[in-house]
Amino acid sequence: MKTKKWSIALLAVILATVLALAGCGGGGSTEPTGSTDAGEGQGAEGTGSEPSGQTEPSGQNEQVEITLGYYSDAKSDAKMKELIEKFKAKHPNITVKTQSAPYGQFFQKLDTQIAAGQAPDVWLSDGVYVMKYAERGAVRELTDWIENDLNKDDYYGLDFNKDAEGRYWAVPQGIQVGVLFYNKDLFDKAQVPYPTEDWTWEDLKETGAKLTVDAAGKTAEQDGFDSNNVNQFGLTFFSITEGWFPVLKSYGGGVLDETLTKSIVNSPENKQAVEWMVDGMKRGIITDPVDLKSFQSAMAVFPSGSAAMRIGIYSRVLAANEAGLNYDVTLLPKGPDGKRFSPVIANSWVINAKSDDKKAQAAWEWIKFWATEDEVQREWAALGEAVPVKKSVAQSDVFLTQSDKPANRKAFLDSLEFAGTLDSNAVWEEWVGKFNEHAQRAFLGDTTVDEALAAADKDIQAILDTFYQK
Amino acid sequence: MTSNQQTAGRALAGAGPSRSKRRKWLDQEGRWGLLFVSPYLIHFIVFVAGPLAASLYFSLSDYDMLNPPKWTGLDNYARLLHDPLFWKSLWNTLYFVILFVPSQAFLALLLAVALNRKLKGLKLFRMAHFIPVISSWTVILYVADSVFNPRFGFANAFLTRIGLDPQRWLQDEQLVIPLLVLIAVWKGIGYMMVIYLAGLQSVPGDLYEAADIDGAGAVRKFRAITLPLISPTTFLVIVLSTISTFQAFEQIYVLTGGAGGITAAGGPNNASLVLMLYLYREGFAFMRMGYASALAWVLFTILFVLTLLQLRLQGRWVHYD
Repeated sequence: MKTKKWSIALLAVILATVLALAGCGGGGSTEPTGSTDAGEGQGAEGTGSEPSGQTEPSGQNEQVEITLGYYSDAKSDAKMKELIEKFKAKHPNITVKTQSAPYGQFFQKLDTQIAAGQAPDVWLSDGVYVMKYAERGAVRELTDWIENDLNKDDYYGLDFNKDAEGRYWAVPQGIQVGVLFYNKDLFDKAQVPYPTEDWTWEDLKETGAKLTVDAAGKTAEQDGFDSNNVNQFGLTFFSITEGWFPVLKSYGGGVLDETLTKSIVNSPENKQAVEWMVDGMKRGIITDPVDLKSFQSAMAVFPSGSAAMRIGIYSRVLAANEAGLNYDVTLLPKGPDGKRFSPVIANSWVINAKSDDKKAQAAWEWIKFWATEDEVQREWAALGEAVPVKKSVAQSDVFLTQSDKPANRKAFLDSLEFAGTLDSNAVWEEWVGKFNEHAQRAFLGDTTVDEALAAADKDIQAILDTFYQK
Repeated sequence: MTSNQQTAGRALAGAGPSRSKRRKWLDQEGRWGLLFVSPYLIHFIVFVAGPLAASLYFSLSDYDMLNPPKWTGLDNYARLLHDPLFWKSLWNTLYFVILFVPSQAFLALLLAVALNRKLKGLKLFRMAHFIPVISSWTVILYVADSVFNPRFGFANAFLTRIGLDPQRWLQDEQLVIPLLVLIAVWKGIGYMMVIYLAGLQSVPGDLYEAADIDGAGAVRKFRAITLPLISPTTFLVIVLSTISTFQAFEQIYVLTGGAGGITAAGGPNNASLVLMLYLYREGFAFMRMGYASALAWVLFTILFVLTLLQLRLQGRWVHYD
């Protein structure tokens, strides 16, 4: 008898525990971190989701609470929180809850949050993902607000989030634009003049050959050079932004037409551009996909001093400075006909399509605050992760003399004159993967350039058709 | 307390659900019973049955995660039949399984037999073989990289030293799956060895003594006594590793994707794209959760049929005492 009583009591306890756990688990999975109520959220430091200072409504204006999501690292997270505090001081009626996570996790979580209708009211999107959300109806169209509240000439990159029909979907948070990075020490050692703004891609390869050194110390120009055993590459080259895309474009080619629904991969211009790449890789001047795999990361090649040049976006300055490299930047080379192209990624603020008008309006206040306030722009520029969106700040000393290196920071602004997006659309990630797949086979000599381009053209068109012809 | 005794009695009797019993099922005792099994029931419904039903529904719809699923019937399954990447990934998976399962079982058995004796310091060797088992795949990646890195690895240094051409290893379409199998066998062998050791130690010693008296040699003893008596262990090892190999994901993701993540994994040229990897990529990278769910159900069906087949065939070669 006694044991029975005991076992019932025990069961009751277990049951209660399980139910409590199930309750927690359920809550945790449906409700995104950081959107728990104020009492619970207080002091949840270190979870990366601390709601910033929840105070009682002051009762004067109508109170709005918005959730703000962004990806960040420790440094940018601190800065972002600081700026949010400033925003709240200016807009006492708006309460801001934040959700932040490292890049990869942020987007993984975001997709499931959108699916569950729990996404932030305003979030920071990687520039190449804006259209992925826009074309699937997950973000709000911002055309009217932008037309009314922002003077387009004052900002860089508003048009980078415009679709083929002229609708705006996002406002840039910071701009990434590609330039040519070069390691001055390696150029000096080889006694080769630095790159100039007049270079073509052929010039780059010619100079690159002098800067490509094998294990025996021979350069790619000398007899007996071993292209299988390269210690120092002329140019490191990786994937789309800092690889094939700018080259294709400046050769007059490209991947998608202006409607972003048709592949234009199989063109003579692309063939010429890819042949330039394949030849460079065969001669060991440019890193091929297998070379890249031998480094811990494709991004590590230039900062480690294993390559004399790289195509790099602005944020690559951070790693180069951290490595203490003696380097500078200049415009990317021209194509054979003098065409210039610089790849651009405008990481941008977007507003959730499901947020009600009141929240959306408050979110727009945040975006306006971000883009228009000089102080915000200066503070963010000081972090050194992106080119400021506001032209007056970007063109001031705040940006131009922010660090000793690279000395020629103006090159980033000049590049914006001929910059273009990465043809990003709803299926961007997928067609980029497909192009990489076929390009890599050509790069490694497993197939011809003609075959690779024909196959990529077919596959990419199939991807576009699957999405757009539904 | 009497009521509890009654419950227990009824449960022991194991009576079928007759009309009167069913009515009683909902009485107070029945409700208590339900309450007591509810932890399991809730867990089952929330974490097993619910997701299963949801994924079945998704597999019959067009679902991009951002918008509600749209019912499309069997479209996803029809598409699957004409999807070259599905067939390629299915073939890659089978190739992986066919190479991996027998070699793993065979080598683990050899190792277990070698280590199944009473020698000084033997525990050290057993332990050494178990270390890869408890290491994470990220650690294994670094070890594998030190051997197969195309520029800095031992393997190519060795090949160059003896005058052969260096290889691309994991970047080679032909070599990538055999290499992944090699690495997976190396990592998993310790675990299977432990299972085999347990099996070997349960073989009665007197059988060997009798065989000795009859004058049987070592090979004969192994074939006539050891193999049949540990066949249940072999069966377990084969079933376990077949299932885990069909579901192989992390290892291939880490070893072929590197910093490039899911869109880079499965290379080169999809030569190491296995079903799980394809499923993940379709669902989470390319936002075709409906299609990914269909892939998952196909994978489930294959595994289910294979396991049934293994169970059916075991009567022919597995001996239970």
